[in-house]
Amino acid sequence: MNETRKRVDEAIDLAMAAALPELGQVDRDAALTGDLGLDSVQIMNLVMEIEDNLDVSVPVDILAEVRSLNQLADRLCALVGDT
Amino acid sequence: MSLFEKFSALAATRATLGDSGPAPIATPIERVLSATRGVIAGREVILAGTNNYLGLTFEPSVVKAAQDALTELGTGTTGSRMANGSYADHRALEAELAGAFGWPSAIVFSTGYQANLGALSGLVGDGEYLLVDSDSHASIYDGCRLSQAQTIRFRHNDPDNLDRRLARLGDDARKALVVVEGLYSMLGDQPPLDEFVEVKNRHGAWLLVDEAHSFGVFGERGLGLTEQMGLLDEVDFIVGTFSKSLAGIGGFCVSPHAELEMLRLASRPYIFTASPSPAVIAATRQALALLVEGKELRERLHRNIQHLYREVKAMGHELGSEQPGPVMAIILPDRASALNHWRGLLEHGVYANLMIPPATPAGLNLLRISLSAAHSEADIDQIVAALDSMREQPPKSATG
Repeated sequence: MNETRKRVDEAIDLAMAAALPELGQVDRDAALTGDLGLDSVQIMNLVMEIEDNLDVSVPVDILAEVRSLNQLADRLCALVGDT
Repeated sequence: MSLFEKFSALAATRATLGDSGPAPIATPIERVLSATRGVIAGREVILAGTNNYLGLTFEPSVVKAAQDALTELGTGTTGSRMANGSYADHRALEAELAGAFGWPSAIVFSTGYQANLGALSGLVGDGEYLLVDSDSHASIYDGCRLSQAQTIRFRHNDPDNLDRRLARLGDDARKALVVVEGLYSMLGDQPPLDEFVEVKNRHGAWLLVDEAHSFGVFGERGLGLTEQMGLLDEVDFIVGTFSKSLAGIGGFCVSPHAELEMLRLASRPYIFTASPSPAVIAATRQALALLVEGKELRERLHRNIQHLYREVKAMGHELGSEQPGPVMAIILPDRASALNHWRGLLEHGVYANLMIPPATPAGLNLLRISLSAAHSEADIDQIVAALDSMREQPPKSATG
């Protein structure tokens, strides 16, 4: 695992604990809406936490394409890599 | 596999609201008797869940203006502003809106929703940026989706968070339009507009304020929060609606930049829809004149606001905002409690709004009470009494 991915995964862990503590440890390939039962507002709030942790802005259209935490991590790695 | 399968979660949410008594979502109002009275489930109730902030829906001069236009100009324009639907009255209303602000340009849209769609998608395009408050209305988010610009959200009412996001854009911040609202309709809170202005000026960004719920309510001439805070010289665009304080339907975008006029050639939600009917435009022109001169109406509205806030805060309810405004959101612990309160108020003759996730920020369950200048002191007393009785004795029929 490279440094960027490690940093992104840690940011996601922190954000999950802050925004959705009731979920505990989750499967990172689980569908955010279907399997984890999150609504659009919960997903947006989660991403806000991750943005603060990584000091990066995630364009809204990326969220529409992301289905799982691992997919989100992939996109975040690309964004963090760009900064 | 069915196209309708994706609606199962929505159906499950609706099922939690019960199927006995009047529906709390899209509640059927059988008759409207006045700006503040209607009939629901066969009984007369106080309407405390409308956006009729100045109470102009039955104002005789507004009604007569609509009647006269209906007789003289017919029921509809049957076409878009670009084709056959641009009447003298549309241009007159635009001139009056621009004149109210002292600005060179105003554009009328067929709904408030389309005003945001049309302004955001037309003004900001490929290679540019939209920075929107995370609690923005759906019309703002949909305007962003229709735009080719990159959309970035910042934390609700947080100028420091906006500051960091503009800083990340570097020189591109000059190609960014920041979007905030003058009054957020879910929690009833207002933005620190002066701080947002300072941040956007420092980065050379642009600013649009959606005054949908604040137009008519704030400011000496009712132009909104921007006027009230003395910031009209600091913003680039103001969007508003005719369907709240102006008591009709439609929307507008007004700007100190004369180039706004070019939006008429670039905005799809402006171009590809029928223009507002003559009766709507005539009623709106009259309502606008009353709004601008409506200091007394605003004083009545704000007396009602102070009255309700004082009483409800004394009851110990948690509110969506400490800033008194025409929308009061009472935060309730869960959906069942919010539904209980909504049904209880209705049983006591008061219609309010039930607001639940995902329509609400932070997963909150809200009872939303909206006030009008047309409410009497006795109306406010009845709303307070209904809320008070809920504390002591929840309604028997409110468990479903």
